[in-house]
Amino acid sequence: MALAQDPVYKVHEILYKIGDDPSWSSVQLDDSDWTRKPPIMEDGRILWYRYNIEILNAPEELRQYGVQLEAYGEYELFWDGVLIAKNGNPGQESELSPEGELWVTYSIPAHLSDSGNHVLALRASLLHFPDHTRIFEFDIGYYDDLLTKGLIENAYMHMFAGAFLIVSLYFLFLFISNRKAYSTLVFSICCLLVFGLVLTVFSREYLPMHYSLHVIRLQVISVLLLGISFLIPFYFSMQFPFPHQKWYLIVYGGILLVMVFIKPHAFGLKSIVAVSCTWVFSFGIVVYGAYKKVKGARLVIVTLLLSMAIFAGIGFVVSLYAGLGLILLGMLYLLSMRIRDQQLAYEESLVQSTRLQLELLKKNIQPHFLLNTLTSLIDWVEEAPKKGVLFIEALAREFELFNRIEDKMLIPIDQEIELCRSHLEIMAYRKEINYSWEDEGIENDQTIPPAVIHTLLENGITHSLPLADNSIKFKLIYESNDEFKSYTFLTFATIAKQSSVLEEGTGTKYIKARLTESYGDRWEFDSQPVEHGWKNTLKIHSEEK
Amino acid sequence: MKVLIIEDESRIAKRVERLTRDILGSNLNSLTVINTLQDGLSFIETNTLDVVLLDLNLNGEDGFDLLARTVSGAFHTIVVSANTNQALRAFEYGVLDFVPKPFNRDRLEQAFNRIVSEHKEKSHEVKYLSVKKRHTIQLVPIEDVIYIKGAGAYSELIIQDGIKELHDKSLEKLEQLLSPQFIRIHKSYLVKMSEVKEVKVSSGSKYLAVLKNGESIPIGRTKYKELREKWI
Repeated sequence: MALAQDPVYKVHEILYKIGDDPSWSSVQLDDSDWTRKPPIMEDGRILWYRYNIEILNAPEELRQYGVQLEAYGEYELFWDGVLIAKNGNPGQESELSPEGELWVTYSIPAHLSDSGNHVLALRASLLHFPDHTRIFEFDIGYYDDLLTKGLIENAYMHMFAGAFLIVSLYFLFLFISNRKAYSTLVFSICCLLVFGLVLTVFSREYLPMHYSLHVIRLQVISVLLLGISFLIPFYFSMQFPFPHQKWYLIVYGGILLVMVFIKPHAFGLKSIVAVSCTWVFSFGIVVYGAYKKVKGARLVIVTLLLSMAIFAGIGFVVSLYAGLGLILLGMLYLLSMRIRDQQLAYEESLVQSTRLQLELLKKNIQPHFLLNTLTSLIDWVEEAPKKGVLFIEALAREFELFNRIEDKMLIPIDQEIELCRSHLEIMAYRKEINYSWEDEGIENDQTIPPAVIHTLLENGITHSLPLADNSIKFKLIYESNDEFKSYTFLTFATIAKQSSVLEEGTGTKYIKARLTESYGDRWEFDSQPVEHGWKNTLKIHSEEK
Repeated sequence: MKVLIIEDESRIAKRVERLTRDILGSNLNSLTVINTLQDGLSFIETNTLDVVLLDLNLNGEDGFDLLARTVSGAFHTIVVSANTNQALRAFEYGVLDFVPKPFNRDRLEQAFNRIVSEHKEKSHEVKYLSVKKRHTIQLVPIEDVIYIKGAGAYSELIIQDGIKELHDKSLEKLEQLLSPQFIRIHKSYLVKMSEVKEVKVSSGSKYLAVLKNGESIPIGRTKYKELREKWI
């Protein structure tokens, strides 16, 4: 973001001396006894810096040079022996309250900035960080350019941060509306941390800060960075699950935590290591995802490689934000894909529900049932009209019951039993077999998907022959405990020989689809021949696990 | 007439039985009702029958395998079923009639009439003849059959490429099923008319049908007249 401009100055020498003498700011001073190595201070004593500077070009007319500094301590600034700025109270730090800022820009008087040699001198004390005897950033240029350069960079970075804030809030709301979608929460926090990081780093142009707060600021930055470093791979591991995921994440989190405590002041190094760890771990996860052919993994690999290319090509600070931006874009892409998949799955489930409703409806009007019933009915009407009427009433009852349940996902168990009983009544007229029904332990407040037991009953009727006394008995037993509820449906009959191997009939498919619709994968269904006939078991596990 | 009813719903079975007795009257020699397909099929193996009234759930291939087994027998098969959408396919397999449920006396009588009727009304086109092999049932496509020769109670199907297969049904029963595509030109021969190339008169007023494959088949004297009326 720096304005392309040839440097207007050259620093020939930087010299230090502990002690205090007003003449030390002078251009003509003989500074041969000054030291080149920044001395380590032990207290709030005064220390002088001398920068021997050559101005290469004098400023244009009406313009003025300025000097921009990131220097620790409180100091007075002299240019060619003239005091040009006072940043705090050097030597009086322990007595007075903190004063002065860490990042400053001062103007250099125009009449003192002709081309040639000049001296910039600092009279400083560093009570809070006596080992920071250095000017960390130093620049001379046109005063107004120095001021605007930082502001422009800040403006861009704040826009960048703003984008993350909006995305973060958006995904936070998504999470609030769907509390089970933890990945949206993780993503939201991740974006919020990036927002915080960018704001902390780039607020220095307008947020005055005393140099004593400098370490706290760096600690805030590294905590934010470590949070991001953990959350990015964590998020990827949610999208691309891999074996022993929990342990890897615990170990990774442990490594990051250890980094907080070792070398507490090597912030720059630590942030490079943390970001590299993030990258390597994330890359591993995403490559595993691509190997497992998880959708979207390849595109995320591309964004990761791109961020690495920027890192290698441009350097750490720029690539940190560009890389974070890219990685978060990759994460955003994954999320949007997941959301689309969820939408599709939801639509699919709607279609499935409609299909099941139709299936239920069809049960009652399928030709095999309806036409056989009508054939029997004609015969009853012709041969025994009074019984025929009872038959019609039973048929009407079953139709009416079906009508009541056709659009429900779950119905009360007693309604289901009523349906079964009316079906048995109809079948008794058709087959002239003595059907009987028993139930045991039924709790009336229980519900069940419609026509599930009814379907088992139909199967039982189709595949059984009556016992010697021309009877078939059906029995429904309900049991429940903390872990599951179960229905056992028994047929007491002679099982008809099968002409071929029993395939999964439409009836069984219907039952399974209905159970999945209402209970997800929390159910078991088993159906097998037993000594007395047939046994079906339906188990629904409790939700809490 | 010897009749077998295979129907698993007792009320409907009783109805079919009652109506059959009523329709056939003294023509009925024996009538058996069986309520499972398995028992019915084993009854068919061991008994001589004229007609089987079959309730078959024809949904799914399974139903048609069983149908193929039934129609390979020497008797006629009448399907009585609720699956009316499968009627055409049942006819292709060579059932004599398909009585859709619910049915009345008239409809059942109409089916029985087909057995005794001399009148050869145009029925649905049969596409296969099912032939009993040692362990399996084979479906012979009608389009491959050139002519059929009577062999006592059985018939011999003469198929393209000189292959011959024995079929359990008599020539009379096959004529009922295959008319008018096939014509009885002799008391022992039923010929697919599209296979006849020319009719030759040989010495002694003997008539011969020359087929496209070069074979010649005798034409009965009385049949020749019928043939001439219809085809010339």
